[in-house]
Amino acid sequence: MNRFRTAQGGRIDRSRPINFRFDGRSYQGFAGDTLASALLANGIHLVGRSFKYHRPRGILAAGCEEPNALVGIRRDSARYTPNVRATQVELYEGLDAVSQNRWPSLAFDWGGISGLIAPFIPAGFYYKTFMWPRRAWFALYEPAIRRSAGLGVAPTQPDPDRYSHRYAHCDVLVVGGGAAGLAAALAAADAGARVILCDEQAELGGALLAERSAAVDGRPATSWVSQAVTSLAGRADVTVLTRTTAFGYFPHNLIGLCERITDHLDSPPAHLPRERLWQVRAREVVLCTGAIERPLVFPGNDRPGILLAGAARTYLNRYGVLPGTRVVIATAGDSAYETAIELSQAGVEIAAIADVRAQVSGPWPDAARQAGLPVHLSSTVLGTRGRLRISAVELGISTDTVRPSATVACDALLMSGGYTPSVHLFSQSRGKLAWDAEHRVFVPGRSAEHERSAGACRGLSELSEILPDGARAGAQAAQAAGHEGTPRQYHVTAWS
Amino acid sequence: MLLIDCPYCGPRPEIEFAYGGQAHVARPRTPGSVNDQEWADYLYTRVNTRGVHAERWRHARGCGRFFNALRDTTTDHFIAIYKTGTPRPDTSGSSR
Repeated sequence: MNRFRTAQGGRIDRSRPINFRFDGRSYQGFAGDTLASALLANGIHLVGRSFKYHRPRGILAAGCEEPNALVGIRRDSARYTPNVRATQVELYEGLDAVSQNRWPSLAFDWGGISGLIAPFIPAGFYYKTFMWPRRAWFALYEPAIRRSAGLGVAPTQPDPDRYSHRYAHCDVLVVGGGAAGLAAALAAADAGARVILCDEQAELGGALLAERSAAVDGRPATSWVSQAVTSLAGRADVTVLTRTTAFGYFPHNLIGLCERITDHLDSPPAHLPRERLWQVRAREVVLCTGAIERPLVFPGNDRPGILLAGAARTYLNRYGVLPGTRVVIATAGDSAYETAIELSQAGVEIAAIADVRAQVSGPWPDAARQAGLPVHLSSTVLGTRGRLRISAVELGISTDTVRPSATVACDALLMSGGYTPSVHLFSQSRGKLAWDAEHRVFVPGRSAEHERSAGACRGLSELSEILPDGARAGAQAAQAAGHEGTPRQYHVTAWS
Repeated sequence: MLLIDCPYCGPRPEIEFAYGGQAHVARPRTPGSVNDQEWADYLYTRVNTRGVHAERWRHARGCGRFFNALRDTTTDHFIAIYKTGTPRPDTSGSSR
């Protein structure tokens, strides 16, 4: 189809092409794509403009953590949803997406001029400086400022859709359907507990859906996921909710869930509500909310073409999309090397791997060196070049001071600054965080509710730890709710 | 939303209940014999506990009856629920 789509692989259905529009132009993706992955597959990184200076912004992440790629989704004149993350929009036939906060067009944005006068506008610049002369405020300043600031535009007509709500009770509520969440739900269900498992994505599996190098019980991780999902679906006491976001943790284990029912359909049936609010009262809650990759901080780190390394891996393995053809990787950890190797195997040229650490060893860095990838130690990114897309990375080497070392041409920069556990729900339940000095992250400490965290959201990173941790948490939760059971054992090995 | 275990009806959500203020505030048996300060204390002075607090609840949209509860004000967890007229349970040994 095009050079940014791999020849095979991924969880997309290549026999079902889907046509969609972005800013009025037609493109094609596949069933299983998100808007973001389909745009990347068409080589489009520039999807938005920043709030104040209208800097070009591209797709940074692959999931709910996306900060940049906010678009408007239009169905008809009354059904227009602004500020939706392109990474969370499932592609459907005829999807009509528009970029926001640009005029007259995304590539040529008049508001970008404010970036040129940015040195004269200090942070916190007060717009009422434009008050004088008095009449000019209403006639000139306010309309201009209102047009140039703000992101999406609200729809003008009343919402014609229907929304419903439902109450539910369960023994164990598992939030997050990744490796830990699936293991927890299986363990709790095995013990005989009534289980609700919710995940905000369309497909259960979380990071396992982009996992190619691990095997669970001798099978590829994705095949373990499908088997776990089938096993859960066949049980009367298990309710699996996909496309369902747990948005609130209220006292005494009352959890608010928002289930999106028709947003992914090209022609939603009239009898279905658009969204359903679930108010779940759970005896025990298992939080398996995973972790979010941290970006690195350097000048120009918001240029289109700069992605998180983990996101690039997701786009490659889950959607069959290449982030670019010549890629630089900036990292502070080992996980980006795995991305580098997989991208290199997929035919992407790895121009450089810049690691801030002075010494690096481990299976993935060693494999990267063996594969002949150019690894620069003690190296960091000093800046980036390019206007609507990154064109080069300025690397620096740090000894006592940091000095420029090389300028490397590229069309994508992947960065990885380690992972931060998603403790939002835990904190909202008034749990206290604890500092994990070894991994240098905050992890769940003392719980305030009948709740426990498992997997990556409590600082674990290896699948061989996460699966048993999830199973243990699920069994413990079931036991606390009055159901005895022993968690299954999982055997995690490398898969090649 | 709190889940409150009414001693007459069982666990119900908080919206069915009305809060009745501090428990075990006894009205002086002979109001005419207490001085103004003691009467004012009875009327207005309440504890503001950080920790275990004895309070009254009324199952207003249920059985309509008053009962007492021990609630930890730092966690909002109920430690004990007991009927009006019975003494405050000893909770010195409980943790949360």
